[in-house]
Amino acid sequence: MTKLAIILGVPIALLATIASLGVVVVDVREGGPDGNRIVVPVPLVFAQAALAVAPAVAPADKMRIPDEALEHVGLAREVLEALAAAPDGELVRVEERDELVVISKEGRSLRVRVSGERENVSVNVPLHLALQALPDEHGHIRTAALAGALGGVRFTDLVEVQDGNDHVRVWVW
Amino acid sequence: MRKSILAGVGLLALSVLPAATAAAQTGTAWLHVRVEEAKEASKVAVNLPMTVVEAVLKASPEMIEKHGKIHLGEEHGLKMADLRKIWKELAAVGDAELVTVESEDENVKVMRKGDLVQVFVDNKAKPGKDGKPVKGGEEVRVEVPVSLVDAFLSGEGEEGNIEAAVAELQKRRGDIVRVKDDDSNVRIWIDEQNTQSPAGK
Repeated sequence: MTKLAIILGVPIALLATIASLGVVVVDVREGGPDGNRIVVPVPLVFAQAALAVAPAVAPADKMRIPDEALEHVGLAREVLEALAAAPDGELVRVEERDELVVISKEGRSLRVRVSGERENVSVNVPLHLALQALPDEHGHIRTAALAGALGGVRFTDLVEVQDGNDHVRVWVW
Repeated sequence: MRKSILAGVGLLALSVLPAATAAAQTGTAWLHVRVEEAKEASKVAVNLPMTVVEAVLKASPEMIEKHGKIHLGEEHGLKMADLRKIWKELAAVGDAELVTVESEDENVKVMRKGDLVQVFVDNKAKPGKDGKPVKGGEEVRVEVPVSLVDAFLSGEGEEGNIEAAVAELQKRRGDIVRVKDDDSNVRIWIDEQNTQSPAGK
Protein backbone atom coordinates (compact mmCIF):
# COMPACT_ATOMS: atom_id res chain seq x y z
CA MET A 1 0.00 0.00 0.00
CA THR A 2 2.83 2.36 0.93
CA LYS A 3 4.66 1.39 -2.28
CA LEU A 4 1.58 2.22 -4.36
CA ALA A 5 1.22 5.55 -2.57
CA ILE A 6 4.85 6.39 -3.39
CA ILE A 7 4.55 5.18 -7.00
CA LEU A 8 1.46 7.32 -7.57
CA GLY A 9 2.30 10.12 -5.17
CA VAL A 10 5.71 11.10 -6.52
CA PRO A 11 4.65 11.73 -10.15
CA ILE A 12 1.42 13.42 -9.03
CA ALA A 13 3.37 15.70 -6.69
CA LEU A 14 5.88 16.40 -9.48
CA LEU A 15 3.08 17.20 -11.94
CA ALA A 16 1.34 19.38 -9.36
CA THR A 17 4.57 21.28 -8.72
CA ILE A 18 5.18 21.86 -12.43
CA ALA A 19 1.55 22.86 -12.94
CA SER A 20 1.70 25.25 -9.99
CA LEU A 21 4.70 26.94 -11.62
CA GLY A 22 2.74 27.41 -14.84
CA VAL A 23 2.34 25.65 -18.17
CA VAL A 24 2.30 27.04 -21.70
CA VAL A 25 -0.28 25.09 -23.64
CA VAL A 26 -0.29 24.91 -27.43
CA ASP A 27 -3.57 23.51 -28.67
CA VAL A 28 -3.95 22.76 -32.38
CA ARG A 29 -7.25 21.50 -33.73
CA GLU A 30 -7.48 20.62 -37.40
CA GLY A 31 -10.86 20.91 -39.06
CA GLY A 32 -12.63 18.25 -41.03
CA PRO A 33 -13.66 14.71 -40.16
CA ASP A 34 -10.04 13.46 -40.13
CA GLY A 35 -8.70 16.48 -38.30
CA ASN A 36 -6.22 15.85 -35.55
CA ARG A 37 -5.96 17.54 -32.25
CA ILE A 38 -2.50 18.16 -30.83
CA VAL A 39 -2.05 19.55 -27.34
CA VAL A 40 1.50 20.36 -26.24
CA PRO A 41 1.91 21.46 -22.65
CA VAL A 42 5.31 23.04 -21.96
CA PRO A 43 6.09 23.73 -18.32
CA LEU A 44 6.84 27.42 -17.90
CA VAL A 45 9.81 26.53 -15.77
CA PHE A 46 11.43 24.82 -18.81
CA ALA A 47 10.99 27.95 -20.92
CA GLN A 48 12.37 30.06 -18.07
CA ALA A 49 15.35 27.74 -17.66
CA ALA A 50 16.04 27.81 -21.41
CA LEU A 51 15.95 31.62 -21.38
CA ALA A 52 18.19 31.77 -18.34
CA VAL A 53 20.90 29.60 -19.92
CA ALA A 54 20.58 31.04 -23.44
CA PRO A 55 23.32 33.69 -22.99
CA ALA A 56 25.77 30.98 -21.94
CA VAL A 57 25.15 28.72 -24.93
CA ALA A 58 24.16 31.09 -27.74
CA PRO A 59 26.75 33.18 -29.64
CA ALA A 60 26.98 36.71 -28.21
CA ASP A 61 25.94 38.35 -31.50
CA LYS A 62 22.73 36.31 -31.55
CA MET A 63 21.76 37.74 -28.16
CA ARG A 64 22.01 41.30 -29.37
CA ILE A 65 19.68 43.32 -31.59
CA PRO A 66 21.07 45.17 -34.67
CA ASP A 67 22.36 48.71 -34.11
CA GLU A 68 19.75 50.22 -36.44
CA ALA A 69 17.00 48.74 -34.25
CA LEU A 70 18.73 49.84 -31.05
CA GLU A 71 18.09 53.52 -31.70
CA HIS A 72 14.32 52.90 -31.57
CA VAL A 73 14.39 50.98 -28.30
CA GLY A 74 14.14 54.16 -26.23
CA LEU A 75 11.01 55.22 -28.10
CA ALA A 76 9.49 51.74 -27.75
CA ARG A 77 10.17 51.76 -24.01
CA GLU A 78 8.65 55.24 -23.54
CA VAL A 79 5.56 54.25 -25.52
CA LEU A 80 5.09 50.94 -23.68
CA GLU A 81 5.49 52.63 -20.29
CA ALA A 82 3.05 55.38 -21.25
CA LEU A 83 0.59 52.78 -22.53
CA ALA A 84 0.89 50.73 -19.36
CA ALA A 85 0.04 53.82 -17.30
CA ALA A 86 -2.74 54.97 -19.67
CA PRO A 87 -6.41 54.15 -19.21
CA ASP A 88 -7.98 51.30 -21.17
CA GLY A 89 -9.39 51.97 -24.59
CA GLU A 90 -9.53 51.11 -28.26
CA LEU A 91 -6.31 52.46 -29.76
CA VAL A 92 -6.67 51.54 -33.41
CA ARG A 93 -9.57 50.32 -35.53
CA VAL A 94 -9.18 49.66 -39.24
CA GLU A 95 -12.36 48.67 -41.04
CA GLU A 96 -12.06 47.47 -44.61
CA ARG A 97 -14.44 45.66 -46.92
CA ASP A 98 -13.36 42.21 -45.82
CA GLU A 99 -11.25 42.78 -42.73
CA LEU A 100 -11.42 44.39 -39.34
CA VAL A 101 -8.32 45.11 -37.25
CA VAL A 102 -8.68 46.31 -33.68
CA ILE A 103 -5.86 47.09 -31.26
CA SER A 104 -6.97 47.88 -27.75
CA LYS A 105 -5.48 48.27 -24.34
CA GLU A 106 -7.23 46.09 -21.82
CA GLY A 107 -5.84 46.11 -18.33
CA ARG A 108 -2.15 45.34 -18.50
CA SER A 109 -2.29 43.95 -22.03
CA LEU A 110 -2.45 45.06 -25.61
CA ARG A 111 -4.97 43.03 -27.56
CA VAL A 112 -4.75 42.75 -31.34
CA ARG A 113 -7.75 41.29 -33.12
CA VAL A 114 -7.95 40.67 -36.85
CA SER A 115 -11.25 39.43 -38.22
CA GLY A 116 -11.50 38.40 -41.84
CA GLU A 117 -13.94 36.50 -43.95
CA ARG A 118 -12.20 33.23 -43.23
CA GLU A 119 -9.61 33.97 -40.59
CA ASN A 120 -9.81 35.34 -37.09
CA VAL A 121 -6.66 36.14 -35.12
CA SER A 122 -6.42 37.33 -31.57
CA VAL A 123 -3.06 38.17 -29.98
CA ASN A 124 -2.65 39.29 -26.43
CA VAL A 125 0.58 41.10 -25.57
CA PRO A 126 1.15 41.57 -21.82
CA LEU A 127 2.75 45.02 -21.57
CA HIS A 128 5.17 44.12 -18.79
CA LEU A 129 6.38 41.13 -20.83
CA ALA A 130 6.90 43.39 -23.86
CA LEU A 131 8.85 45.83 -21.67
CA GLN A 132 11.09 43.05 -20.37
CA ALA A 133 11.60 41.79 -23.92
CA LEU A 134 13.21 45.11 -24.85
CA PRO A 135 17.00 44.96 -24.87
CA ASP A 136 19.22 46.98 -22.54
CA GLU A 137 21.04 50.15 -23.61
CA HIS A 138 23.79 48.06 -25.28
CA GLY A 139 21.26 46.08 -27.30
CA HIS A 140 21.61 42.87 -25.29
CA ILE A 141 18.41 40.88 -24.87
CA ARG A 142 17.76 40.51 -21.15
CA THR A 143 16.82 36.85 -21.09
CA ALA A 144 16.86 36.55 -17.31
CA ALA A 145 14.41 39.45 -16.94
CA LEU A 146 12.27 37.94 -19.69
CA ALA A 147 12.29 34.59 -17.92
CA GLY A 148 11.18 36.29 -14.70
CA ALA A 149 8.41 38.19 -16.48
CA LEU A 150 7.03 34.97 -17.99
CA GLY A 151 5.79 34.01 -14.55
CA GLY A 152 3.56 37.07 -14.56
CA VAL A 153 1.61 36.07 -17.67
CA ARG A 154 -0.10 33.05 -16.17
CA PHE A 155 -3.78 32.49 -16.94
CA THR A 156 -3.44 34.52 -20.14
CA ASP A 157 -4.55 33.67 -23.67
CA LEU A 158 -1.58 34.68 -25.80
CA VAL A 159 -2.62 33.71 -29.32
CA GLU A 160 -5.78 32.37 -30.90
CA VAL A 161 -6.07 31.74 -34.63
CA GLN A 162 -9.20 30.45 -36.31
CA ASP A 163 -8.55 29.68 -39.97
CA GLY A 164 -11.59 28.09 -41.51
CA ASN A 165 -12.10 24.93 -39.50
CA ASP A 166 -8.56 24.93 -38.09
CA HIS A 167 -7.99 26.36 -34.69
CA VAL A 168 -4.77 27.17 -32.84
CA ARG A 169 -4.66 28.47 -29.32
CA VAL A 170 -1.64 29.23 -27.14
CA TRP A 171 -2.24 30.13 -23.55
CA VAL A 172 -0.43 30.12 -20.24
CA TRP A 173 -2.03 28.22 -17.43
CA MET B 1 -37.28 31.53 -7.42
CA ARG B 2 -37.56 33.00 -10.92
CA LYS B 3 -38.33 36.43 -9.46
CA SER B 4 -35.22 36.22 -7.28
CA ILE B 5 -33.06 35.35 -10.31
CA LEU B 6 -34.57 38.25 -12.30
CA ALA B 7 -34.03 40.62 -9.38
CA GLY B 8 -30.42 39.42 -9.09
CA VAL B 9 -29.80 39.91 -12.81
CA GLY B 10 -31.42 43.36 -12.62
CA LEU B 11 -29.22 44.41 -9.70
CA LEU B 12 -26.15 43.10 -11.49
CA ALA B 13 -27.06 45.04 -14.65
CA LEU B 14 -27.58 48.21 -12.61
CA SER B 15 -24.22 47.80 -10.93
CA VAL B 16 -22.47 47.22 -14.27
CA LEU B 17 -24.17 50.12 -16.11
CA PRO B 18 -22.31 53.03 -14.43
CA ALA B 19 -19.03 51.16 -14.89
CA ALA B 20 -19.73 50.76 -18.61
CA THR B 21 -20.46 54.49 -18.95
CA ALA B 22 -17.33 55.38 -17.00
CA ALA B 23 -15.26 53.17 -19.30
CA ALA B 24 -15.80 55.63 -22.16
CA GLN B 25 -15.22 58.85 -20.20
CA THR B 26 -11.70 58.52 -18.84
CA GLY B 27 -10.90 62.00 -17.53
CA THR B 28 -7.70 61.82 -19.57
CA ALA B 29 -7.18 63.71 -22.81
CA TRP B 30 -7.29 61.45 -25.89
CA LEU B 31 -6.13 62.40 -29.35
CA HIS B 32 -8.38 60.95 -32.04
CA VAL B 33 -7.68 60.55 -35.73
CA ARG B 34 -10.36 59.36 -38.10
CA VAL B 35 -9.76 58.71 -41.78
CA GLU B 36 -12.61 57.55 -43.99
CA GLU B 37 -12.10 56.64 -47.62
CA ALA B 38 -15.30 56.09 -49.52
CA LYS B 39 -13.60 54.60 -52.59
CA GLU B 40 -11.77 51.96 -50.58
CA ALA B 41 -14.69 51.54 -48.18
CA SER B 42 -12.18 51.83 -45.38
CA LYS B 43 -12.32 53.54 -42.02
CA VAL B 44 -9.30 54.03 -39.81
CA ALA B 45 -9.69 55.22 -36.26
CA VAL B 46 -6.77 55.94 -33.95
CA ASN B 47 -7.29 56.91 -30.32
CA LEU B 48 -4.22 57.71 -28.26
CA PRO B 49 -4.00 59.00 -24.71
CA MET B 50 -2.15 62.34 -24.80
CA THR B 51 0.36 60.85 -22.36
CA VAL B 52 1.36 58.37 -25.09
CA VAL B 53 1.53 61.15 -27.71
CA GLU B 54 3.78 63.07 -25.33
CA ALA B 55 5.99 60.01 -24.84
CA VAL B 56 6.31 59.53 -28.61
CA LEU B 57 7.19 63.19 -29.19
CA LYS B 58 9.69 63.21 -26.34
CA ALA B 59 11.43 60.08 -27.52
CA SER B 60 11.66 60.75 -31.26
CA PRO B 61 15.28 61.77 -31.69
CA GLU B 62 15.00 62.80 -35.33
CA MET B 63 12.18 65.22 -34.64
CA ILE B 64 12.79 66.47 -31.19
CA GLU B 65 16.04 67.54 -29.67
CA LYS B 66 16.87 67.23 -26.01
CA HIS B 67 14.31 68.53 -23.49
CA GLY B 68 11.45 68.55 -25.98
CA LYS B 69 12.63 71.48 -28.06
CA ILE B 70 12.56 71.62 -31.82
CA HIS B 71 14.88 73.62 -34.04
CA LEU B 72 13.34 75.83 -36.65
CA GLY B 73 16.47 77.64 -37.83
CA GLU B 74 17.05 79.61 -40.97
CA GLU B 75 17.01 76.56 -43.20
CA HIS B 76 13.20 76.68 -42.98
CA GLY B 77 13.17 80.22 -44.32
CA LEU B 78 12.11 81.93 -41.12
CA LYS B 79 14.02 82.55 -37.92
CA MET B 80 12.29 81.64 -34.69
CA ALA B 81 12.99 85.17 -33.40
CA ASP B 82 11.11 86.61 -36.41
CA LEU B 83 8.27 84.20 -35.85
CA ARG B 84 8.03 85.28 -32.19
CA LYS B 85 8.04 88.93 -33.20
CA ILE B 86 5.31 88.43 -35.81
CA TRP B 87 3.23 86.40 -33.39
CA LYS B 88 3.55 89.07 -30.69
CA GLU B 89 2.39 91.75 -33.09
CA LEU B 90 -0.51 89.59 -34.25
CA ALA B 91 -1.53 88.98 -30.64
CA ALA B 92 -1.77 92.74 -30.13
CA VAL B 93 -4.12 93.11 -33.12
CA GLY B 94 -6.76 90.77 -31.67
CA ASP B 95 -9.45 89.20 -33.84
CA ALA B 96 -8.63 89.75 -37.48
CA GLU B 97 -8.47 88.16 -40.90
CA LEU B 98 -4.74 87.73 -41.25
CA VAL B 99 -4.41 86.25 -44.71
CA THR B 100 -6.84 86.01 -47.58
CA VAL B 101 -5.85 84.50 -50.90
CA GLU B 102 -8.45 84.10 -53.57
CA SER B 103 -7.49 82.49 -56.84
CA GLU B 104 -9.07 80.47 -59.59
CA ASP B 105 -8.06 77.19 -58.00
CA GLU B 106 -7.95 77.92 -54.34
CA ASN B 107 -9.24 80.12 -51.55
CA VAL B 108 -7.09 80.43 -48.43
CA LYS B 109 -8.08 82.25 -45.29
CA VAL B 110 -6.10 82.56 -42.07
CA MET B 111 -7.79 84.39 -39.23
CA ARG B 112 -7.67 84.85 -35.55
CA LYS B 113 -10.98 84.43 -33.79
CA GLY B 114 -11.04 84.56 -30.01
CA ASP B 115 -8.53 82.08 -28.70
CA LEU B 116 -8.18 80.25 -32.01
CA VAL B 117 -6.18 80.66 -35.18
CA GLN B 118 -8.28 79.28 -38.01
CA VAL B 119 -6.93 78.21 -41.38
CA PHE B 120 -9.42 77.50 -44.14
CA VAL B 121 -8.28 76.17 -47.49
CA ASP B 122 -10.76 75.43 -50.24
CA ASN B 123 -9.38 73.80 -53.33
CA LYS B 124 -11.99 74.23 -55.99
CA ALA B 125 -13.05 71.32 -58.12
CA LYS B 126 -11.88 71.87 -61.67
CA PRO B 127 -14.68 72.09 -64.21
CA GLY B 128 -14.94 69.38 -66.81
CA LYS B 129 -15.38 69.83 -70.55
CA ASP B 130 -19.11 70.33 -70.15
CA GLY B 131 -18.53 73.00 -67.50
CA LYS B 132 -19.82 70.84 -64.65
CA PRO B 133 -17.46 70.37 -61.69
CA VAL B 134 -15.53 67.11 -61.73
CA LYS B 135 -13.79 65.44 -58.84
CA GLY B 136 -10.82 67.13 -57.20
CA GLY B 137 -12.25 69.61 -54.68
CA GLU B 138 -10.83 69.70 -51.19
CA GLU B 139 -11.69 71.50 -47.96
CA VAL B 140 -9.18 71.88 -45.17
CA ARG B 141 -10.11 73.29 -41.76
CA VAL B 142 -7.40 73.72 -39.16
CA GLU B 143 -8.00 75.25 -35.75
CA VAL B 144 -5.00 75.98 -33.60
CA PRO B 145 -5.46 77.42 -30.11
CA VAL B 146 -3.54 80.68 -29.59
CA SER B 147 -2.21 79.27 -26.31
CA LEU B 148 -0.69 76.35 -28.25
CA VAL B 149 1.29 78.71 -30.47
CA ASP B 150 2.27 80.72 -27.38
CA ALA B 151 3.53 77.54 -25.75
CA PHE B 152 5.44 76.41 -28.85
CA LEU B 153 7.12 79.79 -29.15
CA SER B 154 8.07 79.83 -25.46
CA GLY B 155 11.39 78.11 -26.27
CA GLU B 156 14.62 80.02 -26.42
CA GLY B 157 16.78 80.85 -29.43
CA GLU B 158 15.95 78.83 -32.49
CA GLU B 159 14.02 76.23 -30.54
CA GLY B 160 10.31 75.59 -30.35
CA ASN B 161 9.08 74.14 -27.10
CA ILE B 162 7.31 70.88 -27.94
CA GLU B 163 6.94 69.87 -24.30
CA ALA B 164 5.00 73.05 -23.49
CA ALA B 165 2.97 72.67 -26.69
CA VAL B 166 1.96 69.12 -25.77
CA ALA B 167 1.07 70.26 -22.24
CA GLU B 168 -1.17 72.90 -23.84
CA LEU B 169 -2.73 70.30 -26.16
CA GLN B 170 -3.63 68.26 -23.07
CA LYS B 171 -6.02 71.09 -22.14
CA ARG B 172 -7.55 71.39 -25.60
CA ARG B 173 -10.92 69.76 -26.29
CA GLY B 174 -12.48 69.76 -29.75
CA ASP B 175 -11.49 69.67 -33.41
CA ILE B 176 -7.98 70.49 -34.54
CA VAL B 177 -7.97 69.44 -38.18
CA ARG B 178 -10.68 68.55 -40.67
CA VAL B 179 -9.87 67.68 -44.26
CA LYS B 180 -12.62 66.76 -46.66
CA ASP B 181 -12.34 65.90 -50.31
CA ASP B 182 -14.29 63.85 -52.80
CA ASP B 183 -13.05 60.51 -51.59
CA SER B 184 -11.89 60.98 -48.06
CA ASN B 185 -12.59 62.59 -44.75
CA VAL B 186 -9.90 63.21 -42.15
CA ARG B 187 -10.64 64.50 -38.68
CA ILE B 188 -8.25 65.05 -35.78
CA TRP B 189 -9.64 66.08 -32.43
CA ILE B 190 -9.14 65.80 -28.69
CA ASP B 191 -11.67 64.81 -26.05
CA GLU B 192 -11.88 62.63 -22.96
CA GLN B 193 -13.51 59.61 -24.62
CA ASN B 194 -11.42 56.48 -25.04
CA THR B 195 -13.35 55.59 -28.16
CA GLN B 196 -14.85 57.33 -31.18
CA SER B 197 -18.50 57.33 -30.22
CA PRO B 198 -21.13 58.00 -32.89
CA ALA B 199 -21.76 61.36 -31.23
CA GLY B 200 -18.18 62.29 -31.81
CA LYS B 201 -18.24 61.58 -35.53
